[in-house]
Amino acid sequence: MKSSILLTTLLFVLSGCGGGTTEVTEPPLPPPTDATPITYSGPPAATADIQQFRIALWDNISPLDRCGGCHAQGEQSPTFARNDDINLAYAEANTVVNLDSPSDSRMVTFVGEGHNCWLSSIDACTDILTTWITNWAGVAEQATDIPLEPPVARTPGANRNFPTDPSLFANTVYPILTTYCADCHTNSATIPISPFIASSDLEEAYQASRSRINLDLPADSRFVVRIGNEFHNCWTDCTANANQLIAAIQTMADEIPLTELDPSLVASNALTLVDGTLATGGGRFEENIIAKYEFRAGSGNTAFDTSGVEPALDLTLSGGVNWVGGFGIQLTGGKAQGSTSDSRKLHDLITATSEFAIEAWVAPANVTQEGPARIVSYSAGPTQRNFTLGQTLYRYDALLRSSNTDANGEPALTTSDADEDLQAALQHVVVNYDPINGRQIYVNGAFTDDIDEVEGGLLNEWDPSYAFVLGNEVSNDIPWAGTIRLVAIHNRTLSPEQIVQNFDVGVGERFFLLFGIEQQTNIPQSYIVFEASQFDSFSYLFSEPRFVTLDGDATISSVELRGMRIGINGREANSGQAYINVETTINQADYQAGFGQPLSRLGTLVALEQGPQGDEFFLTFEQLGDFSNVVIEADPPAPSLPVDLEPQSDIGLRNFAEINASMSALTDVPLTTPQVQEDFITLQQQLPSVTNIDGFLSANQMAVTQLAISYCDRLVETPSLSSRYFAGFDFNRPANVAFDSVSRPLITTPILDRMIGIDVASQPDRASVEAELNNLIDRLTTCGPADTCDAQHTRNVAKASCAATLGSATMLIQ
Amino acid sequence: MALFNEIKPNEVKNSDKIKYARGLLCILALIFCAIAEAGPREQAKRIHDRLAGIPASASVLDEMATLIEQGDVSSAAFIAMDNSTFYNVTLKRWISPWTNEESDIFVPLNDYTATVIGIARDDIDFRQILSGDILYTADPNLGLPAYSNTNNAHYEAIESQNIDLQVNLVAGTQSSITGLPPEATAGIMTTRAAARSFFKDGTNRAMFRFTLINHMCTDLEGVQDISRAPDRIRRDVSRSPGGDSRIFINSCVGCHSGMDSLAQSFAYYEYEYDVDSDPQGDNGFLAYNGVGDIDPATGTRVTEKHLINENNFPFGFIITDDRWDNYWRFGQNQNLGWDQSLSGSGSGAKSMGQELANSRTFAQCQVTKVFENVCLREPQDGADRQQIESMTNNFSANSFQIKSVFADAADYCKGE
Repeated sequence: MKSSILLTTLLFVLSGCGGGTTEVTEPPLPPPTDATPITYSGPPAATADIQQFRIALWDNISPLDRCGGCHAQGEQSPTFARNDDINLAYAEANTVVNLDSPSDSRMVTFVGEGHNCWLSSIDACTDILTTWITNWAGVAEQATDIPLEPPVARTPGANRNFPTDPSLFANTVYPILTTYCADCHTNSATIPISPFIASSDLEEAYQASRSRINLDLPADSRFVVRIGNEFHNCWTDCTANANQLIAAIQTMADEIPLTELDPSLVASNALTLVDGTLATGGGRFEENIIAKYEFRAGSGNTAFDTSGVEPALDLTLSGGVNWVGGFGIQLTGGKAQGSTSDSRKLHDLITATSEFAIEAWVAPANVTQEGPARIVSYSAGPTQRNFTLGQTLYRYDALLRSSNTDANGEPALTTSDADEDLQAALQHVVVNYDPINGRQIYVNGAFTDDIDEVEGGLLNEWDPSYAFVLGNEVSNDIPWAGTIRLVAIHNRTLSPEQIVQNFDVGVGERFFLLFGIEQQTNIPQSYIVFEASQFDSFSYLFSEPRFVTLDGDATISSVELRGMRIGINGREANSGQAYINVETTINQADYQAGFGQPLSRLGTLVALEQGPQGDEFFLTFEQLGDFSNVVIEADPPAPSLPVDLEPQSDIGLRNFAEINASMSALTDVPLTTPQVQEDFITLQQQLPSVTNIDGFLSANQMAVTQLAISYCDRLVETPSLSSRYFAGFDFNRPANVAFDSVSRPLITTPILDRMIGIDVASQPDRASVEAELNNLIDRLTTCGPADTCDAQHTRNVAKASCAATLGSATMLIQ
Repeated sequence: MALFNEIKPNEVKNSDKIKYARGLLCILALIFCAIAEAGPREQAKRIHDRLAGIPASASVLDEMATLIEQGDVSSAAFIAMDNSTFYNVTLKRWISPWTNEESDIFVPLNDYTATVIGIARDDIDFRQILSGDILYTADPNLGLPAYSNTNNAHYEAIESQNIDLQVNLVAGTQSSITGLPPEATAGIMTTRAAARSFFKDGTNRAMFRFTLINHMCTDLEGVQDISRAPDRIRRDVSRSPGGDSRIFINSCVGCHSGMDSLAQSFAYYEYEYDVDSDPQGDNGFLAYNGVGDIDPATGTRVTEKHLINENNFPFGFIITDDRWDNYWRFGQNQNLGWDQSLSGSGSGAKSMGQELANSRTFAQCQVTKVFENVCLREPQDGADRQQIESMTNNFSANSFQIKSVFADAADYCKGE
């Protein structure tokens, strides 16, 4: 009983929690649930095209849980899913498809408007329908010229912008979210569903909520629409709940002042990203695609396989996986995995051709992960796989099980370490495999030149019971961190030209934004056109601006254009102004009919503020035609005064080089004396490398002592030096008599004079040092019966006296 | 007891070590008995210690003390600097860490170090270190291996033979010794040692960054300004590191916008070496694409390394020449004190080096480095900062002769 309640709750949670994308994700009527396959027994297809229609489209839409539930004979018109006569279904279908532009088919657009999508994501349904219709048409969708559509002219309005500090949000909207949405929309929920608008981390919740709140029109906020219009998990009455949210957002907005457009700006018309002309013109090569993920759902726990090849190998997101803006998923330890039964289609369709290609748009989070960290894998655990695309530091790895490799797909093909082909940036990567060429890796359209050392083999040892997974091993223990924007599996290799073609098409949804400047240029229907897209969850990409007039008869008069900036929500963006230095003259000679006059080939990022629905863009100019706005940058404030440091020592140590030079100077032993030179090289890294007295270590002192001994040894043992330094001292007498009261000063006085100096009060007290030296000599020359007190010992005592002084603070401190 | 005869220092017996250590400790302790007040002799000793790196002889100490007593501290300091160890020890160790990315002070003498030492010795305008056609080598009569574009043997021989740099360094020009076109020379930036450290591999931005660190006393974080135009940031810089463009917008762009537009001045340089047989580049050489030298990979004089990873962001800037522009003349980095008599734009490393070296920050950085080297500490309070200002003014007034800065610092930190 308990478990059934839990299951019910879970189902409720799963079906209820969607996420907050701007797309409507729930159809107005629930679709039929009968998935019984339709067995066709009517008349045969009269033509090859009808047969193609049947294979490519009808077989996929005729089941009762899809179009066949309503659009069959005797039911709702058009009856394109009828199962009594395929020829009649074909005739009906022709009324709702556009074979020249499958994505514009009425069948597709109607579902896109919310009509009975059989999946939880309308985007997934429209993509799949488009693919089926494309397959029927028999040609891949070609890249086409996009006709620019003039947007509604609108001057940049005053806007409210989100404050950096989330406290206003915390006191208004956030309490509602944490009360009613926290069961799903937190990362600590039983089944966490992004966006984490109710996160216990206020900053995270604020960031996730900003794009779902419309400060200027609270009722248009995504939060409100989701509850009020789409009835997404209302906690009491949907209308009342929506009003509660509107009131909270209004309270928040009332506290935020309007940002008025500076009247001195020379500004274009304004528009949002979605006001632009959709620029995605197709053109990908997908003839042999068998699984495809574009991550367009933007919420929920399923990444849909939109290849249109049955069975759909949908992936379930679990663990650390977030949706990212502009289509994609970010993996942070989680994974997206398909069922083993659905994954089997990869086995069946690839072993049938013995060749395949893995294609992906990925942005590795770093270049430090290894394992190889699993990006795309069809495997059973750390040591068993059919294939894997992975990352090791700056390298891509391709593992493939064949008759010439082991069950783990090894030896792997890895891109060259030196080439650093993998970068922590958005990259297009393709792994091709066929028995003749083996594995080949292409990055950003180019072959990496890494040759597969393993001969191509057979794939007959592939195991059909493995699962397809992204971002981790199926066993969850070898995660990959990064963002995946697209994955496609083809059961043929992609030719180099096809790879370049798919790379050139890019990834994600792009728009042409037309910024009206007719008012300033006096050229009819004149615009600055940018290609723009949501780059990731945090920014927009604006690129390749050009001047365009939509009036084909317009005369392009000469117009000076200088200092172009991008404005967002009533003010110029404070970073990313890549067109400040644009300085050109719009003129007829440089204007290419049908394209316009290019202004720059550069692209730039503009930080996302309210999301693609809410952020309003415009352009400003320092000079545009006769209009100008002289921008003079204010002088920066003077840098603040540095903070006083704790008082530091006024004295320090000599460093290694100074110690060496000082010892040479104090003993007269040349630096180039072989023994001391050799000892210095051995000891130099153990000597103090810096002069900071706080860093002095006992190891430093040992090195100082050893070097001092080395110098004193050479001083005493080199007759020409010792006879001058210790003038008059007889080194041939035994130690017990050599240091008598008359001779002893011949040793100590030169040492003290040279090493301590004369009359320098900052040096150690001469009398005290002398007393210590005398004590040392007394101890060393007290020769008992067991000691040898010969002339050699005399020299040793002299060296000891020298080294004790030379290796001390008297030399070391400066 | 054969203690010292024929034995290496590190073979001294433990029992003996203990005996001598006792003596050492006693003497070490005595230093703290030293009186706090410093008279002319104490000041002379400290000045000599700090500048020459070694204790003064009795006669030099007397001479310096007399001058100090007479109020002529500067002359005393110049006596201390009139010593080979000021060049062979103090300056060599001061300069060595600038010549490599690791700031290693144990690196062998090289053409970068020797050239700065020579500029100091000959009282040449120190700003020349970033733009001059200048190179110091040892006197050819010494019989050392000749200067080579492909190894450092010449300078290593100078060091191993402890050749007196004060006497034996000879000024020459890079263009005559290395064959670099005169217009391509840019002081130490175009020495072989700098090229090996900062032009090897990568994208030549390292040369800019380490010049900034070593000669403007700031790393890139210190000059970060996200409000500058990003239009010179190349294609190899990911705009979405790890899929998060906030990192680029809030961080990367702050450094790259200014850096890439200045580092473009290095567009024609490369450090060439055999990556297989000589991975460290010990036998590599500085290459430069002069007029008419077309790099086959780029089709221009720009070296191939400047176009790597072009698909990281295809809409990024493409370098076609070595024109540089200083975007930091506006915005917060205006505070670096650029020379208003210069234009802030140009072509090549030489004029870019002049742009940096003529800034107030360059002079202040050299002064600060000298201060720290002589005073053995960082400037710590208002008085020290005032001193830095005053020394910077003197540096400028003294035709940017670096020895005058050493003299000023020695005076300030001579003790009282």
